[in-house]
Amino acid sequence: MTLTLDAPRIVTTRPLVTLRDVTKTYGDVQAVTRVSAEVFPGEVLGIVGESGSGKSTLLRMMNLEDTPDSGSYTLDLPDVQGNLFELGRFARRMLCATKIGIVYQNPHLGLLMKHSSSGNVAERLLIAGERRFSVLRDKARAALAASEFPLERLDAPPIELSGGMQQRVQLAKAIALEPALLLLDEPTTGLDVSVQALVLDTLKRLQQDRNITMVIVSHDLGVIRTLADRVMVMRRGEVVEAGLVDQIFQDPQHPYTQQLVHAKL
Amino acid sequence: MAYVATRGGEQAIEQAERLFRAEMGEITPERVAEIKTALPYLIDRVMGEASLYDEDLAALALAQAGGDLYEAVLLLRAWRTTQPRLHVARPIDQGTLFTHRRISAAFKDIPGGQVLGPTLDYSHRIIATDVLEGARYIPAPVTPAATPAPAHQPSVAAWQAENDLVEMPGFDETAPEDIPDVTREPVLFPATRAHRLQSLARADTGATLALGYAAMRGYGQAHPTVNELRLCEAEIIVTHPKGTAFSAGRVKVSQAEVVSKKGDTLELGFAATLGWNEVKCISAATLDLNSKGAPKGSPTEEEFYLYHTEGVESSGFCIHFKLPHYVTFQSSLDAMRSAKKTSKTAEKTSTSKEPAQ
Amino acid sequence: MSVTPQSLKTLSRAWEPMSYGFLDASAKREMRRKMIKAVAVPGCQMPYASREVPMARGWGTGGLQVSLTLIRPNMRIKVIDQGADDSVNAASIRHFLARVSGAPTTLDTLQADLIQSRHRIPEEKLNEDQILVLQVPNPEPLRPVQPNMSVARQMHADADYGRMWLQLYEQIVRSGRVMQGASYPSMVNGRHVMTPSPIPRWDVPKLNMAQHLTILSAGREKRIFAVPPYTRVEPLVFDDVPYKVEEHHDLTCSRSGAKGFFMNEIPQEDGSSAYELSDSGFGVKHIQQGIGDAVTLGKTWYENGEMVE
Repeated sequence: MTLTLDAPRIVTTRPLVTLRDVTKTYGDVQAVTRVSAEVFPGEVLGIVGESGSGKSTLLRMMNLEDTPDSGSYTLDLPDVQGNLFELGRFARRMLCATKIGIVYQNPHLGLLMKHSSSGNVAERLLIAGERRFSVLRDKARAALAASEFPLERLDAPPIELSGGMQQRVQLAKAIALEPALLLLDEPTTGLDVSVQALVLDTLKRLQQDRNITMVIVSHDLGVIRTLADRVMVMRRGEVVEAGLVDQIFQDPQHPYTQQLVHAKL
Repeated sequence: MAYVATRGGEQAIEQAERLFRAEMGEITPERVAEIKTALPYLIDRVMGEASLYDEDLAALALAQAGGDLYEAVLLLRAWRTTQPRLHVARPIDQGTLFTHRRISAAFKDIPGGQVLGPTLDYSHRIIATDVLEGARYIPAPVTPAATPAPAHQPSVAAWQAENDLVEMPGFDETAPEDIPDVTREPVLFPATRAHRLQSLARADTGATLALGYAAMRGYGQAHPTVNELRLCEAEIIVTHPKGTAFSAGRVKVSQAEVVSKKGDTLELGFAATLGWNEVKCISAATLDLNSKGAPKGSPTEEEFYLYHTEGVESSGFCIHFKLPHYVTFQSSLDAMRSAKKTSKTAEKTSTSKEPAQ
Repeated sequence: MSVTPQSLKTLSRAWEPMSYGFLDASAKREMRRKMIKAVAVPGCQMPYASREVPMARGWGTGGLQVSLTLIRPNMRIKVIDQGADDSVNAASIRHFLARVSGAPTTLDTLQADLIQSRHRIPEEKLNEDQILVLQVPNPEPLRPVQPNMSVARQMHADADYGRMWLQLYEQIVRSGRVMQGASYPSMVNGRHVMTPSPIPRWDVPKLNMAQHLTILSAGREKRIFAVPPYTRVEPLVFDDVPYKVEEHHDLTCSRSGAKGFFMNEIPQEDGSSAYELSDSGFGVKHIQQGIGDAVTLGKTWYENGEMVE
């Protein structure tokens, strides 16, 4: 795997995503504890941590699939106001359908496995109100092409595709409407190492070409290092350290981060 | 042409019904009375599924339908629904039930004792062919017990609740006239507990068993232990507008409590129905027990089992497929033919499929 | 002046085995309320108790309850099944309606005040004074994509029809066309997707901005919905893939000679097919006209095989 060490972009604008004091408990378990974070336009934020660290819970909440006990979440977009956690079910659904894209580790969560791949992508456009079949077709094809999906399999159902291809369909679906925010939940975990590298290349290219704001969650430091500009290290629901990628990897401050980085290197 | 056909249609249905009835001959009060005394468990089953307690009407319905249970239940339900709802009887406390049979599989003995009552559970199922050869089958006389079992007993769950083993559902404070009535309003989901238990009370016995059995075999999360099964009679207490409470008679009812261990406590499933019907009560209580948190589309999910155990609806829909469907068929045929035509022209005109990139 | 002594007998009505129109007053009241709700929110399914009636579920009990509630002794009723008055089930329902209401019956669409139908809308145009009651086996257009009724109800509330559209997309991708036969899902008043009941695609445009009231009722599933007069009913179609009715434009009825209406296909022994008008009452009138009887043929929705806009 190639580790590209781009210079972090200098960020001067207002944050696109702002999370404030987000706390979530499941029964007695404190899944996420007072997490605050900002993501700037065009930036890639990586969240690392072991399983149970709360990183995926946080991402699901950013996709409005789950509501925290307390805390706020804002997106700096025209027509999007207030704390998104307070939105009703309908408003949530519309926001997620049009402004936020997500790629899950498990393609079964993100895809209709027996529908066509192009249909999976087209559904996003249909929810947004597109009613021209030819346009649906063209846009689905374009999104799949951008995800480097083999177009001769345009209408194959995901169930007949390999894991890597399924992730590309999820990605195409996520970017079909040019979302303001792309969420990636362990997008390459479970794939063969060689396939993993190819999918990461696609993600990196897409990010560079379209300057998409992304949040990527992974337990794999290599993945984070390849894609992210900034990193947030989570442990038992709390953020133990945050900073620029190079800073975290070269000079980890928190003992837990040191342990993570050294275990990896 | 069609004028004739129309009369022809009317004549045909008239004659078809006559043909059906001719097979069974005359229906007399004697026949109805004989059905009532000879087949009490069938009467009970029909009364339960019809949610109408009237042994004479149930026997008549069976006679009129020639023993077709779905038809008999529909006859009774169609009659029942035109009757006014005059009164809501008082809630029945389990301790006041006049109990004929009451057993618990959870304990060797229970306060009030195991009362076997009338049952075929331990009989050898040997068919009495002698009767067909002219012998009479005369039941042996019953020897009364030295000490009769008490007629009224507390429920086993009440004892368990006292000992902190089971969490009893809270007392429902709903005023009698506000209790949701499944015969007067549609069931919406999540259903009220009243709707769920009422629907199960009048569910089709076979369907309830099929889904309950699926749960027992492992398609449910909880494995039932029969905490208590009862066959009894309940006093119907109604209140006169002047305030006098009086008994309007007794009805046979059966009920089952099943329990399952959940953590350090027992979960309770309950079902009751008019008439004595053990299989249905145990199955229905098992479904009730398994409802909570059942995945959507599983046999123990409330919406799934309540829809699919409704005998009048399911049997009606099943037989409706006998009705002509040629318009819908024609419509599908048209789409199929046109799709075939399109794909043939497409094959001829295009040489390559989607361009590979 | 003599005073008749009052007793319970003089004060109360004589005992009757059943109410007028079979259903009792409480059932009718509920039906009226739910019909009004259904008219108020076009295309939206209203749950109702759906009483048992002396007919099996799935055999038109939903339509029957509507007809029984609306019926009056002076209302002329017509009952059709698959377009035909002479179908056995239509005959049975017509007979029952007449028996419990004393209402006269007719086979002529133009003469009918109330038409209960299974799977067809007559070819002659209905007017503002007529009510069409359609029997509905499955009221939920979302069932193929969402079998769970409570989830589907939520989807309607949110106008969440993406999955519905996706189904059409998939059909075109796989078969080159929308494969939905009858029961073509349609948007009512720009808000609720409904099933028009299993009428052929040929009949769906007849509902759009129609002069008459249509009530659709599913007895077994306990749902009622309506298309009030002058309401938009638009089949779900992509902007660039036109809606296609059955290709019956050029077919000729072998019995009446009428052309350009929805036909029944009758397979012939030589392997070919003959056709006859599906709307039997309309067919009879054509034949009567052919032999010189004085009959009135009404205005039709389709002329020369094309829907008149």
